[in-house]
Amino acid sequence: MSDEEQKEPLQSSLRVQELIYGLKIGEVMTKKVFAVSRNCTMRDVQQIMKSNGITGVPVVDNRRVVGFVSMNDVMTALEEGGMDEGVIARMSGEVQTLAEEMPLSFAISAFNKFSFRSFPVVSKKNELVGILTFRNINLALIRELSRQLREMEHLHEYPEEHASLELVKVYQLNRYDFENGGKASIEIKKFLKERGISLALVRRVAVASYELEINLVAHSIGGMLSFDINKDRVKISSHDRGPGIDDVEQALTEGFSTANEWIRSQGFGAGMGLPNVKRVSDEFAIQSAVGMGTMIRTVIHFKEEKQNED
Amino acid sequence: MRLIQIADALEAEVHHAPKGWEQISIESVFASDLMSDVLMSDRDEMLVITSLSTEQSIRSAGIVGSEAVIIANNKTVTDGMIALAKELDIALFCTIFPKYESCIRLGRIMGL
Repeated sequence: MSDEEQKEPLQSSLRVQELIYGLKIGEVMTKKVFAVSRNCTMRDVQQIMKSNGITGVPVVDNRRVVGFVSMNDVMTALEEGGMDEGVIARMSGEVQTLAEEMPLSFAISAFNKFSFRSFPVVSKKNELVGILTFRNINLALIRELSRQLREMEHLHEYPEEHASLELVKVYQLNRYDFENGGKASIEIKKFLKERGISLALVRRVAVASYELEINLVAHSIGGMLSFDINKDRVKISSHDRGPGIDDVEQALTEGFSTANEWIRSQGFGAGMGLPNVKRVSDEFAIQSAVGMGTMIRTVIHFKEEKQNED
Repeated sequence: MRLIQIADALEAEVHHAPKGWEQISIESVFASDLMSDVLMSDRDEMLVITSLSTEQSIRSAGIVGSEAVIIANNKTVTDGMIALAKELDIALFCTIFPKYESCIRLGRIMGL
């Protein structure tokens, strides 16, 4: 294996990682949740755990999660003779919840960061909608991987006519690796240019992609940039493993930047990166959670020129 | 104006130039050391003048479709930058003049 090959991770392994980013927690979680209200006792919880084979039960008040009783809490109550006490006295009051809209990668970070075996999942309205365990994640990955395998087998049997403007490619980017930050964008730019896409559109794709690459290199601890191109549009997604953005709205404000002197010395960090990505994209979505990572998805359509939003 | 007029006016050293570079038409000049700003521009037939002598300057210019990059202030142009300019086939010049003076010289030939 040449040096070049050793440095470049396999596309297949990157595709698996991309899966983790592409799936949402809401698609993977168990939707049937057993929860208890504030006035239940620890014995009630133990009964629910036993009859349903689960290891943790959220405590809810009007569908909002207010606490969590784990197997450990039940054992401690047993030991101390507190099984008839209310859950309020024995639950963990500070519950780490996950949002159903978050990518699965955030959940994996949460499992790594906290020692919990399951997380309550909440909706945008902050209401309990499910529960996520590592088992859910494994099952979802196996399901998705077999689906992809089936598709690949199908493609193998019935090879499609060669579509010139189709490409799925994932690039890995490392922290502070300014030397390689930009290579993906240059490659994609070349790909589109060679296929006769108009220069203005090529520039928009290249700018969005390049700003995202620079962001990954300058601000994240490392991540991935993936491209999904077909005859109608380019989809770019950027995912990183952290540190996550505290205030997304602020990060989207022109001129706001957390860049250090070194990043600035490279000619970046003027706080224009994300606003610029948004400017050139037809669709733009960002999700971030501190300690878990940031995910940005943008779409640029080939057909219609970008509508003026003002 | 043509790229050859620019090279003359700035007494530029040519590190890389695409075939037929002399006749490349330049309609606008963007002078900045801030690549974030360069990336915001959507002009055509553009020239970037910068004192930031890094590969990222060449890349940023290439991303926005700039025709040429001029490194001002006689800064050292690295082999990596030249290789990148070749790969992107974008003209890469170096001038002894600082950015401000370079702009004045170009302004004159543009009749500004």
